[in-house]
Amino acid sequence: MSFLTSKENRKLFLRKIKNFWLDFRRNRIGLVGLTTILIYVIVAFASPWMAPYHPIRDTRLAQGYAMPEWVTILPQNADLPRTQIERIYWTVSENPQLIDIQFGEQVIVNYLGGQIKPAHVWLIYNFNYPHDVPPKTFQTTFSWSTDLVENLTYSINLGAVRLNDTVQPVWWLDSNQDGGGNAFINSEGIETLIMIGLDPVKDNLARRIFTGKGEYGLLLHLVFMPASEDATCRFTFKNGELRILGLVHGVLGADNAGRDLYSQLIVGVRISLTIGLLAAVISTSIGVLVGVVSGYTGGFVDEITMRIVDILLCLPVLPLLLTLMFMYGKSPYYLILIIAVFWWLGLSRIIRSQVLSLREMPFIEAAKAAGAGRFYTVFRHLIPNVLPVAFANMVLAVPGAIITEASLSFLGFGDPATSTWGRMLNHAFSYGAFTHMAWWWIFPPGLAIVCLCLAFVFVGHAVDEIANPRLRRRR
Amino acid sequence: MVSNIYFSQKFQIRKLGDSIVKEYLVKRIALAFITLFTVATLNFVIFQVLSPYDPFTMILDPNFTPEVKRILMEQYGLNETLEVRYVKYIQGMFTWNFGYSFLSKKLVVEQMAPKLANTILLLGSALVATVIVGIPVGILAASRRGSKLDVIAIGSGLLTWGVPIFFIQLLFMFFFCYWLPVNFNIQLFSIAGMTSVPPPKDTLTYMADVAWHLSGPLITLVLASFGSWALYTRNLLLDALTQDYVVTARAKGLSERTVLYRHAFRSTLPPMVTLIALSVPGIVTGAMITEFIFSWPGIGRWYLSSMNSGDYPVVQSVLFIYALLTIIANITADILYGLLDPRIRVGMRR
Repeated sequence: MSFLTSKENRKLFLRKIKNFWLDFRRNRIGLVGLTTILIYVIVAFASPWMAPYHPIRDTRLAQGYAMPEWVTILPQNADLPRTQIERIYWTVSENPQLIDIQFGEQVIVNYLGGQIKPAHVWLIYNFNYPHDVPPKTFQTTFSWSTDLVENLTYSINLGAVRLNDTVQPVWWLDSNQDGGGNAFINSEGIETLIMIGLDPVKDNLARRIFTGKGEYGLLLHLVFMPASEDATCRFTFKNGELRILGLVHGVLGADNAGRDLYSQLIVGVRISLTIGLLAAVISTSIGVLVGVVSGYTGGFVDEITMRIVDILLCLPVLPLLLTLMFMYGKSPYYLILIIAVFWWLGLSRIIRSQVLSLREMPFIEAAKAAGAGRFYTVFRHLIPNVLPVAFANMVLAVPGAIITEASLSFLGFGDPATSTWGRMLNHAFSYGAFTHMAWWWIFPPGLAIVCLCLAFVFVGHAVDEIANPRLRRRR
Repeated sequence: MVSNIYFSQKFQIRKLGDSIVKEYLVKRIALAFITLFTVATLNFVIFQVLSPYDPFTMILDPNFTPEVKRILMEQYGLNETLEVRYVKYIQGMFTWNFGYSFLSKKLVVEQMAPKLANTILLLGSALVATVIVGIPVGILAASRRGSKLDVIAIGSGLLTWGVPIFFIQLLFMFFFCYWLPVNFNIQLFSIAGMTSVPPPKDTLTYMADVAWHLSGPLITLVLASFGSWALYTRNLLLDALTQDYVVTARAKGLSERTVLYRHAFRSTLPPMVTLIALSVPGIVTGAMITEFIFSWPGIGRWYLSSMNSGDYPVVQSVLFIYALLTIIANITADILYGLLDPRIRVGMRR
């Protein structure tokens, strides 16, 4: 900036900043606000390392509406299970002749033929479930393929069992052709429940299987039904995974789809801060520029500008923002721009009235008499003098912008690809956080907004007191 | 003698003020019309000129034949050139003829009337309740400066800056509509809607039912915004209490009560009225979120659902009504300002 050119001026400017800091340091509320903002800024920079999961893409991390992990401190919640993820390594439990099984990265079951009666293979994976509280859902995925199918019908049956108990079937498939695919079995899925003959509304498959802590087994039962002696078939199984969704998860629990709420909260910090700060800076710049030009030029320009401001002040801002977001795009940067466009109005009036009184001051007169040009006067004398007020206003504009963004997202008009606090609250409101009493979903995003906005209000208040000494006298 | 001179002076000021007020009002109303015109034009540009969507994509069945499409376009007047449509549209807006809704195929005005009434019920009662709560808190805070109440007033004033209205409402809803009923079986406030289903037939019971449904949103709106009122009143009053005429009044030996209410508080009324008017747009948008959360059948909720279903005639009309409400509030504030404070030369205020 032009007033930083000479060494003298730089010194003067540094001393001004130092004095400002000395004033600010005495204001306790302002310090509290500044510390809070600093914490948020650090979190915003560290968010890629602090958030363990992707806020939107990583689903099924736990049961929907899973509580935070730390509620297990309470005795009544002590036994709630965390998410248990098992990589499935099949071992053979019963194998007749004529079948060759290779274990390794993938399990290959090779039926060689030679007889006409059906042959059964039992593969089992044993695992330990260490809780008495049953899970609500478990999910199994594996990919399988069959080839070399000749004159043969096969069936794949998946079952789950508590050791020394009866087997509960989970999924099956009959075919006589080459094929394959990824099996995804969700114990709460309606098609799964209908397939095994349970009531999709009343019955819970996971509760039927998991009856207490102990050893459990996942059973893969293959049946080969050859039509002639030269029948052949080869199975390949790989990438098996068993996921027992936990009823507690992470620092802040999970949302309806099992996403990590803590990650959503952390990621939201950066977006809220960016939107708040950028919108405030842009709108303040516009406001200062319009105010100074309008106040300094006066006359026709002033009249027209102020009438335009009058008209714009009558526009219903939030509904208009909603409409613009809905019609022309939902990117956060676009949102910053349209918030900034509607936020400079009040400030331009304040700056203008300040400039009107500054314009008549002797030092401006002196500058003019010494031959200062228009631009020189504006940038060298007027703008530096309105900067404190502009700065105080800018700090107070940040919470406004943050709350506006949160309101838009809360009403469902935010960017669906970005996780923001408003979006979290919108989802909490629309996807049943209230009926599930999911306080861990409602409170954190709201409190995060409140703390950040209050921090800026506190700092703005402190800056305002320093910039406008009149206020200091009153208190 | 003294009072005579005083009155004649006051009379002169009033006379002078009157002519300026009249001139100012004419200017103000002209500006209001220009503003309305701007809003209407902006609406037209947003929805019909720059819009990336075909206004019919949302409501037309893709299986419609071009013939049906053409007839529909004709019915809605969308087949004409942009200029003709613009003129017709502006005419319609200023003659209270907002066209037909795409979705319900009914007149927008007919549908709007009951919803507008509901919104005004919510808005009006919220505004009145906020003023009734906020101003006394501010007065008490100013009269007992430094006390706990003062701290509460300042604190709640700062809170209104930092706490989004919907968060207060969500918390309220969580505690009173879910947590209390589930854990203690106490249903203090209604969860959603404006009446019970089915609504009671008897008028008195009906009104009580509406009042019960209104109480939840109303309380949250008051909680969310009374603080700024309290803070504003307090600061204005503290300013007034340092003025010379207050010192004079105290020196005359008037009671502190009289000084506070008859001397200091009166002088804070004109700026307060301005604040009431200026707070209307904020309350309008606040009411939109409130209507969304509490499922209040007002125009805000209608606006949101119409936008999501692409019903542009409705969205345009509601935006227009919002602007109209704001302008009416501003003009009312200016008139009241002139009435309450005859010293003000309204036209020179800026």
